[in-house]
Order: sequence, then C-alpha cells, then structure tokens
Amino acid sequence: MPEPILKVRNLSTCFRTDRGTVTAVDDVSFDLMPGETLGIVGESGCGKTVTSKSIMRLLPTRTSFFKPSSSIEFEGKNLAFLPESDMRQVRGNRIAMIFQEPMTSLNPVFTVGWQLEEALKYHSKLDRAGRRARALEMLKLVDMPSPLQRLDEYPHQLSGGMRQRVMIAIALCCEPDILIADEPTTALDVTIQAQILDLMDNLRKRLNTAIMLITHNLGVVAQVCDRVIVMYAGRVIEQAPVRDLFHRPQHPYTRALLTSIPKAGGKQKGARLPAIDGIVPSLFDLPKGCRFNNRCAFSAPRCISEEPQLTADASGRLVRCHTPLNDAGVPITRDGVPLTAGAAR
Amino acid sequence: MLKLISRAWKSRPARKFRRNRLAVAALAVIGLYFAIGITVLVSDALVNLKLINPNDHRLLTVLTLDQVESIVGPMSQPGWLEHPRPEQRLRAVKGILDEFRKALRQKDKDAALAALNLGERRVDKPIDDIRTILDDARAQYDELNAAPDLDKDPSILPKLNKIETTVDSLFKPLSGIDRTINSFRLALGTDRQGRSISARAFYSIKVAIQIGLVVAIISVLMGSLIGAAAGYFGGWVDSAVIWLFSTLQSVPDLVLLAVLAFMFTGSVFDDVSKPFLSLIPVYVAMCLTFWIGPCRVIRGETMKLKELEYVQAATAIGFGKPYILLKHIIPNTLHLGFINFSLLFIAAIKFEVVLSFLGLGVKVGPSWGRMIQESTQEVINGFFWQIGTATVFMFFLVLAFNIVSDALQDAFDPKAV
Repeated sequence: MPEPILKVRNLSTCFRTDRGTVTAVDDVSFDLMPGETLGIVGESGCGKTVTSKSIMRLLPTRTSFFKPSSSIEFEGKNLAFLPESDMRQVRGNRIAMIFQEPMTSLNPVFTVGWQLEEALKYHSKLDRAGRRARALEMLKLVDMPSPLQRLDEYPHQLSGGMRQRVMIAIALCCEPDILIADEPTTALDVTIQAQILDLMDNLRKRLNTAIMLITHNLGVVAQVCDRVIVMYAGRVIEQAPVRDLFHRPQHPYTRALLTSIPKAGGKQKGARLPAIDGIVPSLFDLPKGCRFNNRCAFSAPRCISEEPQLTADASGRLVRCHTPLNDAGVPITRDGVPLTAGAAR
Repeated sequence: MLKLISRAWKSRPARKFRRNRLAVAALAVIGLYFAIGITVLVSDALVNLKLINPNDHRLLTVLTLDQVESIVGPMSQPGWLEHPRPEQRLRAVKGILDEFRKALRQKDKDAALAALNLGERRVDKPIDDIRTILDDARAQYDELNAAPDLDKDPSILPKLNKIETTVDSLFKPLSGIDRTINSFRLALGTDRQGRSISARAFYSIKVAIQIGLVVAIISVLMGSLIGAAAGYFGGWVDSAVIWLFSTLQSVPDLVLLAVLAFMFTGSVFDDVSKPFLSLIPVYVAMCLTFWIGPCRVIRGETMKLKELEYVQAATAIGFGKPYILLKHIIPNTLHLGFINFSLLFIAAIKFEVVLSFLGLGVKVGPSWGRMIQESTQEVINGFFWQIGTATVFMFFLVLAFNIVSDALQDAFDPKAV
C-alpha cells in the first residue's frame, strides 16, 4: 500500500462569532492517496468547504483558528501551522484548488492567457515565451476548442464550461500533487458537467494528481470517486469505497441521503419522494449524543446519552454509529445482532 | 497598440458615443481647451528655460506669463461689443499723452519708449516731430476737458475723433503678425491695469487644466490605494482609514481648504517669484479633501470584490496579499477611478475659482478666480467684460465636461440603446 500524500488528523477548525466560538469542522481525520479521487459529501453547512479551505489555509485568519491538536501532514510539513510565506509556496504549486462558480472565478479584466501565465510566473522559472507555450499547452490539455485564439480572449467571451476548463488549466499548470475541487460542476448544466468530470478523471490518470472532490451531488460521486467521506454537522460519519457506500450504506444518514435521490422511472406515480425530516442542527446548538439523533429513524436512548465513535469494521470501512445498518438496511449492534423493531422510533 | 486603438474605435460604446453629436462637439471643445492649455504650458516652459527668445517667436509667446501680465492698452478699455463712452475715450488718450511726455523728458528716446510699454507701438518719428504732434494733441485735450458735459454735447464726438487721430499719428501702423496679436489682445478689452482680458482668460485655461489634472490624478490615486487597502485588509487598517476620512469630512471642505491655504501663507510657497511653488498649497489643500470621494467608493467596491472567487482563486494560486490587491482588485475598480477622475477634475477647477476669489488660491499669474475677484470693482462701474469672460470660459469647459461624461455613461450602459 503506498504512503498517503496528505494525512489529515484531528482537524478542528473553529470560528469566533458574536455568539461565541463554533467548531465548524470537528476532529476530522482522513488520508488522501496519490492518484485517487476522494469524494466528500454532505448537506449544506456540514463542513465540506471549510475542510477544503482549511487544507488550503484560505480561511480568514482573524476570525478562524485550528485547535492545537489539528494536523494536516503534507510532505512532512504540518500545513495547519505552517507560516504564511511557506504556505504560499504550497498553494497553487503543490496543492491547487478550483471553485464552484466559473462565472466569477476568473478575473474579468485580464485575458485568459495572462491569468494562466500569471500562475507560471510565480511558481516556475519559465521565460515569457516559455510561459505562453505552456499556457497554450494547458489549454490544449483541457480540450479547449481553438486554444490559440482563446489565449487572447477575456473571460466574458467564454461560456461557463469553457471557463471551468480554464480554471482547471490554471490549477494544473504547475502540476500539483493534489487538486481540491470545491463543487466544480454545481453551476454547470448536466452535459457540460459530464464533460468536466470526464476531463478531470482523464487528467488525474495522465498526471497522477490526487483529487479531493467536494460536492453534495451523489451522482457526481458515484461517477468519478474511488472513496467517499460523508460529513454531517462538522464530523465524518462514514468513510467507505464508493461501491460499498452506494450499495451498502452503514450509517442511517447515508442511507437516508441515498433514498432521497429522485429516480427516473422509479417509484409509482404520485408517491412521495422520501426526504430526511428536520434540518441540519445549528452548530451553536448541537444535540447531545449522536448529532443525527433527532432526525434518525433508528434513534435509541443510547444515541442521546452517548456520542458514537468512528469505528472500523472488518473490511476497514469507518462508520460513526452505535447501531450501523447491515446489508439489508436493518440496524445491528456492534456485535452483529439485529435490533428488534421496538427499538426503532 | 494600434490594434487596441482600432478595436476601441470600432467598439460598441465608441459607436454609440459618436452617434451623440452634442457629445462629440463637447469633446472637441475639451480638446480645444487642452490644446490651448498645453501650448501655453510648453511656451511658458520654453521661455522660462530660455530655450527660445520671445521676440523671435511672437505668436508662440503671446500667452506666456510675462506677456499676459504686461500692460497692452489703456486701463479698463471695453471689449468689442461695448462702445467706450466719450469720457473713457478721453481718459485713454490722456493716458497715452502722459506716457509720451514722460518718455520725452528722458534723453534716450528708444529706451524710454520701451520702458513705458510704448516700444511695441513702434514710434519711428524724430523727437521734434513727436513734440509738435504732442503739443497739438495737448491743446485739443485741454479744449475737450474744459467742456461742461462730455456725454450730452453733440459737437464733442467729431472733436474726440480728431484728437484720437492725432494721437494715432504718433504711431507707426501695425502690420502682419503684430496687428493680429494686437487685435487678439484688445478683442475682449483690458482690465483696470490695462492688461489684456482675452490673453489672461486664455492663460487661465492652462492654470485650470493644470490644477484639475494634478488634483484629480493625485486624489484618485490616493483614494484608490487607501480605499482598496482599507476594504481588502479590513480590521485596524479599515478602522484607521474610516476614522481619518470621517474626521476630515466632518470639517466643511471650504473651511479646511481656507485653513490650509492660510497655513502656507508667508512660507516659501508664498514667494511670488516662484510661480511653480505657489500652486503647491492649492494642490495640497484640495487633494487632502478630494481623495475621500474615490476612497469611499473604492473601499466599498473592494469589500464586494474580495469575496468574489477570482480573488480567492488568486490566493489559492499562492499570491500574497499586496500582489492580489494591486493586480486583481485595483484593476477591477478602474471604472470607478475614471468616473471619479472626471468628477474631481471639474470640482478642482471650480474650487480653484472659489479659492482664488477669496484670495487663497492662485497667487501668481492670472486665473479665472483671480479675474473674477479683480473685476469686483469694475462691475460697480458697469464694466462687465472681465467677469463675463472668465465666467464664460469656465462655463463652457464645465458644460463640455458634463456633456461628455453623461454621454460616456450612456455609451457604456449596456441597457441604454
């Protein structure tokens, strides 16, 4: 088994607010292997984006801080407490990021070529002609139509999909080891979405870049990810290979998420779409015990009194539940004994 | 570069702007003002640096500081629309006669004439001739002066014409370029000291544009940098900037400007022999209040821009904060910079007039404000040429600028047809 390229351990990101300190990402640990695609999914506000920005250290330093136990290990350095000047050498160069909104991710007053060359100017020693050649090469790599002409065009002359291609080109032009994609396809229509995902997957294979894909779209996850982390209210609640997660979800929340995806030609006409009752709890007012207990269909007294730990099963899957579900979707105890129906709410 | 210009020329806003004929005319007016201003600036500099001799380039040096400050005609002579009253005509004649008498008392005729501003009129008669004509004119003057009421007596007018012809016969008639220059100088009359109003009004264009450009450029640069830094860094930087401009703004502009102008009074900047330094207090006073406008607007815009993803994307590429501020944020606030520039340019010109009128602005050389201030005594006597000229010159520049900025706004507005 190869060494993970990024080791996140006990990452806790806190924000100072008027109403006190909140912990938006609470004790998150995971590994990222070279060349793999790791998906991070969850509802809005569950800490996905904060996790990615923590790794890039893009959070406002005035209002946010890491707990001292946090560690983001990358090439032997702890990014969480790296000085800003050293961090700048990592950003863009070794870890790159692409954002959700391609419409505003490019600076409207500069040409595409200028923005591609800008990153190279900072991180590479190429001369002017070399930078332009590299910029052109990158546009070709991301399958940009008529790339030579695009170099001298401004962002407003490009469509959303083309802009996202440019963003990917900028992110990859320094050949980073890790690409963090924060909802890269949310703002695109479905056909363009599929093209961009294919492109990212091809580039990952060609350049052996590890991708951290943050999304709330489970379809996207199923299409490109190798492993998936499910987050809820700032915590990792389940981590599994993609196939296992979709076929045999162990956490009730994951299962509920999967059943609430509308399926074409699925249920009979007029049937209600299953949904998870309630909303994500406020970080100021988290429930005692398991954070999902007030919405969980299988909530038991123990779930309210004691918070479950993230535990591995025999195959190495991680789940944070006192009564994880078995393959049939029935809650079992840790010893493998199915619970009686009476325990369910 | 050429490609860029041709692209700009063919762009939609440019086409829309060209369709607006009034705006094109206004732009031409502004162009004319700038051309005159630059010519004056260049010729002034050339003469000051002694690169050209004013006597060799008469037309080019008509509007240099020395020339516009020199006396070119009788005092308070009206411009071409108003006919001088008999009284004024007689006074003008007497002024010239007095000058000649003074000149005759000295031995060296040429030197005396030159010293008395008669040099330009090129008297080429021997002293005895001058003396005869002068005695004749003197007799006619005494006769006219003894008349009880100049304005009402119909027989006065022919006599007045006769004495003017007699005085004129002292001079060699002007020809060629001198004649053009002379008629230009007297076109709008002279002020109380006999200086040309038209020359002074044209020279003031340079002063106005100089003050407008310097103040607008410095204020917009200062405002952009400070405002963008405040908006981008936030925290104590922002608090400090807000505190600073709120404090400056709580003092009425004019009071602050007056205080600053007084502060510089009597210092090296008040030295009349250094016209360049004398404008510095005006620049400082205006820039100190004018940077606030662009600063506030650009601070707000920056607070909006810094949340946009391309700024975050730039951080994610690894750039430092100062670089992002200069390369990614400020270029995106340039449109606000341009708008504020056009507003402040006009505001500075108007403020210069107010300050000069109060005696706190331009100290050396003419300016529209000083012309208006100096004409207060003349207006009482029904002599409106000086104040009228200064006002009209300023009016057309401000109007043209307003028309152009309105048209530009329409041209760049994608929703307007």
